[in-house]
Amino acid sequence: MNIGAPFDLVAGWLQEHAVLPLLYYFGFMQWEEWSFGWSLFAVYGVAQVIAALLICWPLEHFWPVERWKDHKAEWVDVLYTLINRVGFLPLITFVLFTQIQMSINGWLADQGLLAPTLERLAPWFEGRPVITFFLYAIVLDLGEYWRHRLSHVFNWWYGLHSLHHAQRQMTFWSDDRNHVLDEVIGFLWFTVLALIMGVPPLQFPMLVLLLRLLESMSHANARISFGWLGERLLVSPRFHRAHHGTTAAGRVSVNYGGVFPWWDMIFGTADFSPTFAATGDPSAEEVLATGGYWAQQAAGLRRMWRELVAP
Amino acid sequence: MRRVMMLLPLLWSFAALAETPKTVLVVNSGEASLSVIDYATHSVLRKIPMLREPHHWVMTPDGRDLIIGDTVANELVVLDPDTYDIRRHITVPDPYQMLFTPDGTKFVVAGLARKQVDVYEAGTYKLLHRFHLVSMPSHLDFTPDSSTAFVSLQGTNKAAALDLRTMTVKWIAPTGPAPAGIMYHNGHLLVAIMGSDHVDVLDAKTGETVGHIPATNGAHQLFISPDHKTLFVNSRIDSTISTYDANTFKPIRTYRVPGGPDDLIFTPDGKVWATLRFVQKVGILDLQTGALETIPVGRSPHGIYIKGAVNMGGDNK
Repeated sequence: MNIGAPFDLVAGWLQEHAVLPLLYYFGFMQWEEWSFGWSLFAVYGVAQVIAALLICWPLEHFWPVERWKDHKAEWVDVLYTLINRVGFLPLITFVLFTQIQMSINGWLADQGLLAPTLERLAPWFEGRPVITFFLYAIVLDLGEYWRHRLSHVFNWWYGLHSLHHAQRQMTFWSDDRNHVLDEVIGFLWFTVLALIMGVPPLQFPMLVLLLRLLESMSHANARISFGWLGERLLVSPRFHRAHHGTTAAGRVSVNYGGVFPWWDMIFGTADFSPTFAATGDPSAEEVLATGGYWAQQAAGLRRMWRELVAP
Repeated sequence: MRRVMMLLPLLWSFAALAETPKTVLVVNSGEASLSVIDYATHSVLRKIPMLREPHHWVMTPDGRDLIIGDTVANELVVLDPDTYDIRRHITVPDPYQMLFTPDGTKFVVAGLARKQVDVYEAGTYKLLHRFHLVSMPSHLDFTPDSSTAFVSLQGTNKAAALDLRTMTVKWIAPTGPAPAGIMYHNGHLLVAIMGSDHVDVLDAKTGETVGHIPATNGAHQLFISPDHKTLFVNSRIDSTISTYDANTFKPIRTYRVPGGPDDLIFTPDGKVWATLRFVQKVGILDLQTGALETIPVGRSPHGIYIKGAVNMGGDNK
């Protein structure tokens, strides 16, 4: 039983009945060969949002860390999620990834070289996409650990990233509240690593979406810990909440890992203390916490600029 | 009844086949695999893993090797055409559509994502020449004397004629939007216009448009029946397979084939097998009744192969 089959069928339906008619109408049929990948990306994006909602909403409702009377500050996070997971950004991400990979690998082939892939390094992996998928996920998560950690090290970068940390009402929607420039840097980082490893184009969106689904759950406003062993296997809401704590905002923080806590354990940044910290960044402008989408984008740019020109 | 009579020659044209096919091979472009289907029972026997994104196949002129082009892996996968055992891999950039010239001396590859058409020496696969063509070189065909290759340029609404003796571009001519399937036919060039609802007819010597064949929306690929009497045109948007008299281009019948029919193959019982890209299936179309049977395969199936089906049209023409 192929667990991806229902998604494939929905993506095929979307391609046949929505994407291709739109391409035909607007005169872009030359892209039809790639339209299945776009459709699949959108389907996985919607499925991931629904899955996050079904899993996280009950957790937040029945076991909240905090209860708020006013939920206004959370709505902008919903908007970020829709834009970043099922909107234009995933589409651009997939199109760019495919084109960059084809160009680089084609150029290598011109030189008589083949781009490295897990399957070429170890042919046993060929035809075992589930295993290679998880191996790619582990390596990509390591890459994400270092990208995230560096975004706290460089002040100008943290100027952008502080938008993510400024939320005082952190929920599972908050994973995607990022400055668009921070998203672009993250995309380039992730893409380059995926290209080096030779991630298959149609696995790429699924890897992005799986990792981010787990990251959504780790942002949930839920009083959930996975226990001594579980906390060391997978990033829990408690583990990641420590990273979003008011005392952990800025250059020195803890628990940078997105999916696996192993990297924090290996590189000495893990904090397994059993507390559920209050979240937010006291050094951030108020608009970064409670402003609208465009106001937050502008404030992120201002903070980055201030850090860049600071003596 | 007249339509049925026109299609009957299809049944007779397979006398050349020594025996009934045992299996059908389907190239699943979206999941890097090949599905092997039992021809008699229509059950999927097994899947063969590929590396990244295989699309089309071609048989070597001597009939000994079946070649699958894996575009994203930038390699040709050479298979035993009977057992489908993998014999070797050959590094070739972006092997999307690929054909041997009719004289069997050259191997020509259109790289849809790489804006190039590569000409290799058949057998050694040594690159002889690269044509840089903007953009999206898609489908290929040749003149019967192998002197000229034709390619549709899907991204710039053009078609090109390439002189394979001097390795120069003979002409580049405008077509309708998003040209896809291309076929040399009695001194003309037929170009399926995917961004519209017709097939352009070009003068093969000059590239001048001399006519149009009405089709359904999203005309994508062109095939000729094994007896060369019937032209098949499939369409992306309306999901149809239409048949025409190959000499007069007079329409015969349009079949509704839901799921995005792409590559076709003709079988000895007079039916047509088509990959259905959007529904992860292969369709078996009975040309006399219009009935469609489907078989689930892998994600985004594209190429389809049956042993002995060489010279029967499409990308295996």
